[in-house]
Amino acid sequence: MPMLDPMISSPPLPVAQARATSRHRRGVIGVGVGLALTAAVFATRVLAPSSTADQLPNVARDFLTLSISVIVESIPFVFLGIILSIVVQIWLPESLMQRVLPTRPVLRRAVMSLLGVLLPVCECGNVPLTRGMMVKGLTVAESMTFLLAAPILNPVTIITTYQAFGWDNGILAARIIGGFLIANLIGWLFSKHPRPEELLTRGFEATCRVGHDHASHAPRLQRSVVAFSSEASAMLPALFIGSAIAGLIQVGVSRDVLIALGSNPVWSVLALMALAFVIAICSNVDAFFILSFGSTFMPGAIVAFLVFGAMVDVKMLALLRTTFTTSTLTRLTLVVALAALVLGLGVNLIA
Amino acid sequence: MLERILARWQGLALSLIGIVSISWLALSGQLGLYIHPRYFVFTVVMAILGGLLTLAAFAVTPEKDDHEHESEQLEPAAPRGRWRVVLPLAGIGAIALAFVALVIVPPSTLTTATVENRELNSSATGVESDTSSHVELAGSDVSSLSLRDWVSLLRDGSGSDFVVGKTTTLSGFVTADSSDPENVFYLTRFVITCCAVDAQPIGVPVYSPGWSSTYAVDSWVETKGTFALNPSGKSSESVVMANPTVSAIDQPAQPYAY
Repeated sequence: MPMLDPMISSPPLPVAQARATSRHRRGVIGVGVGLALTAAVFATRVLAPSSTADQLPNVARDFLTLSISVIVESIPFVFLGIILSIVVQIWLPESLMQRVLPTRPVLRRAVMSLLGVLLPVCECGNVPLTRGMMVKGLTVAESMTFLLAAPILNPVTIITTYQAFGWDNGILAARIIGGFLIANLIGWLFSKHPRPEELLTRGFEATCRVGHDHASHAPRLQRSVVAFSSEASAMLPALFIGSAIAGLIQVGVSRDVLIALGSNPVWSVLALMALAFVIAICSNVDAFFILSFGSTFMPGAIVAFLVFGAMVDVKMLALLRTTFTTSTLTRLTLVVALAALVLGLGVNLIA
Repeated sequence: MLERILARWQGLALSLIGIVSISWLALSGQLGLYIHPRYFVFTVVMAILGGLLTLAAFAVTPEKDDHEHESEQLEPAAPRGRWRVVLPLAGIGAIALAFVALVIVPPSTLTTATVENRELNSSATGVESDTSSHVELAGSDVSSLSLRDWVSLLRDGSGSDFVVGKTTTLSGFVTADSSDPENVFYLTRFVITCCAVDAQPIGVPVYSPGWSSTYAVDSWVETKGTFALNPSGKSSESVVMANPTVSAIDQPAQPYAY
């Protein structure tokens, strides 16, 4: 690794100092290259002809607009999630999590699912954060419980849901309690897995192993930047692909079909879960969105939308695929969907 | 080799593209084409933080590079054969697509293609408590009512007594009324709750026989007219803006309704 340039470390500098100088120099060059690239991309953006949009067919334009809007909406949350994940991985004292969490697995997962109250990140930001927790040594089941519960059990989501629905039909209560129960159900199911490391993709599992026994001696700041770079490499391609798929489905699937099913007690639940799956909207604001459909839908359907959509959707699956195997995600999606369906039908029966 | 370069730079390239695009949209006042204004500050702050970290990442070479590479070599499931070639190419393709979509293609609003996909006025967007308070506040001076307010007044059956006879000026883009496309068009806008993905089209019907010879679908117009019972026998709308004065306008800076 020390690519010592003999030209730089000319006469009698001690090796360590020479290495530091060369690293410093490379750092300056790196920032220079980064700034130059940024300026070049920015100039391209400013100078790009503004007339090309008219030549695209409407469908292609809308596909781009919809996909870009998902990206613009999600990138800030992904960055926030990566930053929090870095804090958890690198800046929190090694033993803090283990000391604070109860020892009984059920209680541990219950506490994990309430952690979202402290870390109000939208679901797409929770993916890097969850990865950070697993690297830090929490089990797959515990991290998964956090991943599913945090988008619902966090102050921003609870407040917006309250603003949208108040106490009407128990929608708020069903969302909070249902979300908590489903997340802990998933955590319990996956904690029964005999070899939890098989739930993870090979690449991420290797990162976890390195994270465990690799006590890096590099300064924390440097490790943080490296962690940002590698998390961005994992998350952003998935985010861009997920957004493109979401945009494609939006252009291709007519929403009328889903909405036409709204008044049937069973079909409305399924239709809104399908809508939640394709629309990939942030859990912080999905209550306002579904409120705009007002009386079209039954309360159980709205609850299913609010619970299922916060846990699983196309964009989330693309992001989660960086970490979990396809078969893990299939099982997770099926169980969450079934549980949300039962919850929705239950609310429809009572309300 | 290619894989390693990609693993190191793909994330930074995409984050650079995203950050440049977001900051340019913010500087040129076009962020509103994609997200609701309440997210502007958060989005810009996170873009700046992300930008600083991205720049810093250019400066730092991963310390444990060799270490990771070793373990990669041992990976039994590392992509083999054809995938070894395809995956990096797909990665480069994704970066190129993101570059074209976010840096080359000019930003635009949603079009009629999406209106057709999401039924006009299907959501009860307008029927919120604040609309009625808007109406009460406005009293006889209806000039302050927005397109959204009018849509909810028209939807709400009891509002039609109030609406008929009122004159106002509204703007939106043109879409055809499916039940009587020759005589009636809609002044259309999208309502956004979070970002363009959740856009719902709303529209006020305008009675203007032969409108399509003068105004193209999707073009922006401003219309002054008085609400009246719909003269069209075919249209499903009962109250429309009648005797309109229509003039073409540029797309407004704030094309969506909130």
